[in-house]
Amino acid sequence: MKTFNTMLKTELKLSLRGMDMVIFAVCMPIVVLVVLGIIYGDKPAFDGARYTFLEQSFGAIATIAICAGGVMGLPLVVSDYRSKQILKRLKVTPVKPWVILLVQVTIYGIYSIMSLISLFIVANTFFDFRMQGSMFQFILGWLLVMLSLFSIGMMVGGIAKNTKDAGVIASILYFPMLIFSGATVPYEAMPKVLQKVVDVLPLTQGIKILKSATLGLPLENVMLPIAILTILAVVCTGVTIRFFKWE
Amino acid sequence: MDYVIKVENLKKSYGKQIAVDNLSFSVEKGTVFGLLGANGAGKSTTIECIIGTKPLDNGRVCILGVNLVKRRKELFEKVGVQFQEANYQENIRVGELCQVTASLYKKPADFNALLNKFGIGHKSNALVKELSGGQRQRLFIILALIPNPEVVFLDELTTGLDARARREVWHILKELKDKGLTMLLTSHFMDEVEVLCDTICILKKGKVVFRGTVQEAVEDSPYEKLEDAYLWYTDEEEKDNENF
Repeated sequence: MKTFNTMLKTELKLSLRGMDMVIFAVCMPIVVLVVLGIIYGDKPAFDGARYTFLEQSFGAIATIAICAGGVMGLPLVVSDYRSKQILKRLKVTPVKPWVILLVQVTIYGIYSIMSLISLFIVANTFFDFRMQGSMFQFILGWLLVMLSLFSIGMMVGGIAKNTKDAGVIASILYFPMLIFSGATVPYEAMPKVLQKVVDVLPLTQGIKILKSATLGLPLENVMLPIAILTILAVVCTGVTIRFFKWE
Repeated sequence: MDYVIKVENLKKSYGKQIAVDNLSFSVEKGTVFGLLGANGAGKSTTIECIIGTKPLDNGRVCILGVNLVKRRKELFEKVGVQFQEANYQENIRVGELCQVTASLYKKPADFNALLNKFGIGHKSNALVKELSGGQRQRLFIILALIPNPEVVFLDELTTGLDARARREVWHILKELKDKGLTMLLTSHFMDEVEVLCDTICILKKGKVVFRGTVQEAVEDSPYEKLEDAYLWYTDEEEKDNENF
């Protein structure tokens, strides 16, 4: 525990020194929320809807930080620590090298929580946001999204040949998901054909779960997304454990 | 005899190329053992096989009377390792790297005292990447000493240090040796080997060409200086002459 805490403190400091996660995981979601709030205000999502457009988008915005940490932050830091042989150095100490990976997962989890809390505060204070559904369901869904995206990131970082490859794969995963999954550009604003295409992105499925929880829609509608994300998390974790390269 | 490191018939190859061939030696408690040889002779591979970062094809390794694979956690409380290459995070400070390293062990040494002793106490807040080559090298030796180890592995310990810094490092290591610390080191500097090492092993293409004390190495060769003897054992002098 002493090791974990000291590592967490130091790695968190290093991460803050880099600033990128503060920008992409904490500031950016707030900017998206504020922009959508200014454009749509507290207008209903569609004529006769009992919830606002912003409430419909809240779940999506809450995944921006998870996406940044999971498929951009994690792959880069894991492959970087392998190529710098930090994982290898830990192999000749009493501590197992996976501890530092756990520390990284915790750090990206912290960023995601910080983002979620700040979004709740801003949405509540300025845009009359109300959680229509169950908070408990929302949190569970949010954790599932985090679990599945982090497992993708860990897999990419763990098996990519080098930092450059990891960076390329991370970009291929991150930018399409950020733009097309509904996290920044609302899914509802997309043409039907495009919606069908972006449904293959894991984050699109995750956002459906969160949206449904926020708006209090029936759980049956999102059984498929829940199943998809669960399978994804299991498969990626399995691949990571089996094929992770320590050096 | 109290052996701290015992290596028997160590063999390691990469594909068809044999890196270390049937190497055996043992290091007594409180002594310094030097592993010598040209680049690519198998020194680093040998160290990696002993500390378990590379699997061995054949043979047996025992550290402090314990098999590494079976009791890894317990053993690494007492073993310090300095790597040839730098292994640290991009933006980490000297103090932070020491603090994290200390947190890995149950009873770590006081790293501030070590930093002072090695003359880089004032660099605690500096970024590791901004240290000079010599300062960084000293930091890596400190990292190997933070566990309060009974045995340390030092790979090319004074490479990149200036003459004065090398002398200082030797002085500190001799002090630690007098306190009972066992060391296995690799080096390209024969003056360093003469000062520090009790026994040496010279490798050539993965095979042992000499094993014994420094004095024996000189006596068994036609030369009077260790450097000449070393070159004679490794045949490097002949090759050099052919180049003229």
